[in-house]
Amino acid sequence: MAEVILKSVGKAYGSHPVVHDVSLTIADNEFVVLVGPSGCGKSTTLRMVAGLESISSGTIQIGNKVVNDLPPKDRDIAMVFQNYALYQHMTVYDNLAFGLRNRRVDEATIKKEVEHATNILGLAPLLSRKPFQLSGGQQQRVALGRCIVRHPQVFLFDEPLSNLDAKLRAQMRIELKALRERVATTSIYVTHDQVEAMTLGDRVVVMKDGYIQQVGTPLDIYNRPKNRFVASFMGSPAMNFINVDLIEEGGRTRAVAKDLSIAVPERQVASLSGHGNRSVILGIRPEHIHLGAPAEDLGTTFRGELTVTEQLGSELVVGTKVADTLIMASRIAPETELKLHEHAPFWVDPKAIHFFDSKTEAAIR
Amino acid sequence: MTVEPFTLPIARPGPTMFERFAPGAWRVFIGLVIVAVLMIFIAPVAILIVTSIRPASGIYYIWRGTEFTLQNYVEVLQQPQILHAMFNSFVMATLATVVSLGVTVGSGYMLSRFTGRIQKTWFATIYVFRTVPYISFVLPLYLVTTNLRIYDTYLGLLLPHIAVHVCFFSWLMKGFFDSINPSMEHAALIDGCTRWGAFRRVALPSAMPGIAALSILSWLWTWNEFLFALILTGQRTPMITSTMAQFVTETGTEWNLMSATAVLAMLPALLVTIFGQKYVIRGLRM
Ligand SMILES: Nc1ncnc2c1ncn2[C@@H]1O[C@H](COP(=O)(O)OP(=O)(O)OP(=O)(O)O)[C@@H](O)[C@H]1O
Ligand SMILES: [Mg+2]
Repeated sequence: MAEVILKSVGKAYGSHPVVHDVSLTIADNEFVVLVGPSGCGKSTTLRMVAGLESISSGTIQIGNKVVNDLPPKDRDIAMVFQNYALYQHMTVYDNLAFGLRNRRVDEATIKKEVEHATNILGLAPLLSRKPFQLSGGQQQRVALGRCIVRHPQVFLFDEPLSNLDAKLRAQMRIELKALRERVATTSIYVTHDQVEAMTLGDRVVVMKDGYIQQVGTPLDIYNRPKNRFVASFMGSPAMNFINVDLIEEGGRTRAVAKDLSIAVPERQVASLSGHGNRSVILGIRPEHIHLGAPAEDLGTTFRGELTVTEQLGSELVVGTKVADTLIMASRIAPETELKLHEHAPFWVDPKAIHFFDSKTEAAIR
Repeated sequence: MTVEPFTLPIARPGPTMFERFAPGAWRVFIGLVIVAVLMIFIAPVAILIVTSIRPASGIYYIWRGTEFTLQNYVEVLQQPQILHAMFNSFVMATLATVVSLGVTVGSGYMLSRFTGRIQKTWFATIYVFRTVPYISFVLPLYLVTTNLRIYDTYLGLLLPHIAVHVCFFSWLMKGFFDSINPSMEHAALIDGCTRWGAFRRVALPSAMPGIAALSILSWLWTWNEFLFALILTGQRTPMITSTMAQFVTETGTEWNLMSATAVLAMLPALLVTIFGQKYVIRGLRM
């Protein structure tokens, strides 16, 4: 149980920098998720906290101690790896006991701790097995157990669920969430799956190319993305982006593109008029594009040809070609009768329209 | 450590692998090919064994004639030189394997897990030694060993053998360690091990099957090695391979005696392989 503080942490392999100036304060017992596309440096950051990679610049502090020069064993952390990294030649019991034995804990205490962990994780019947006799989900539970028994100050997770199939992953995600309630510990969790980031994190850190893009609560990140990258990364199907021109028309500002003209909501007019460039990027999440006509005229309707439909059972997702871009609309009632290539009316919820600078791609607020 | 037994899926009757690969008339053809290939491997050993139980007069037409005798073995075993050579070869193979294994495992691990100047230099060194045919070392080694006054001693043969083991087998060892995911050692580091502890308690036990296989290879290599034995040893520390060659004399070759010796020399190799393989398989089942 401790704070983790990263101050301007950087990592370079030779002259090739992969993590830049990462500053982050993780509160005691907070669960922070690092999320980003493959190769963005999230594992590297985590491994620097673990002590498995050297730190090229900046400092990392766990509790009140700067740990830059401490070997992993003295940092009082525990880590779950993507491939579980169980000791293949040891039984489950010995796997769980390994860390405690290294710390010269007496066998009676070890037994108690292992029992405690196995009860939480439902591992009791597997204690005498070897890792190769376990399923992926069971192996992952053992890896979690190996962390729990040690009562470390910090838990580190490096994509712990990505080797599991979709169904098991969803189940383990819920178990992890439940586990958090029982074993409250400062945690850093790395994933490239935005669903895990949204559901597990107290706070989410979005990374790209070794830079932090945005830090915030899941909802904050989802509703107020700082730039186009964050907006496109979080959410599925991804946010739609359309290059538009801002035009004054009849006393209202409208965002206009080929086949499309959308009234800019009042609250955004001010920030947009302050923005020098008249060409911007319009961002709309698929769930905010609705089929049909709104109850009152919002000035946000458009028509488009249906080019894709995806029936998911719970919802229908359709794609339409507008302004030479494929625009996805989701959460359409699944029983809606639609024909491909027919033209349909759509409207956009004005409360959920985003604008981004067309050069810097930063959100315009 | 009780390992629960696996329940294997029930085998359903269906085409065997052989039937699937070779349906119909192909079966006969493929079958014949398999027999032919087997013959190529078995024939030399069979001829050797038959020769070893024929009298000296019967060796040139071993498939004819009905005279069989164990006299060759009696004669060979009565030669103290041969027993001495067997003993020497056994000690040499075992010593070279035990000593070189430590170095090989260490260097294989280093090459697999670390990168740096030392590793690169070491890699280049053993690479160069591997590309040079080892025959070309024999003469220089003869000069060195005589200069150091270790010609025809255990040490004089042991050192070259260790060097060859290390150069040849570090690569294999590197391969074994490459196939072990390093995150297991990282987990050990976090679980409180030092770097050395992670190697000794996690990497090493996981590499055990590979190490066992490698020890068999090294042992057999030294047991069968002929060139070093021929040039670097003489009367004092004879090796079995070079001693066997002494049946080739100016007045002719005593094939029957040589074969008997060769069969005898196969026995320890066989034992080591069988014993070692058991260990390899046990290691794999860990
Ligand atoms: N040992 C290394 N030497 C050189 N470059 C490396 C090394 N390890 C990682 N990198 C580079 O550092 C960058 C970040 O790697 P990292 O493993 O942190 O990515 P990641 O965000 O975890 O991606 P993934 O989701 O694929 O695991 C990558 O571009 C990678 O190529
Ligand atoms: Mg990674």
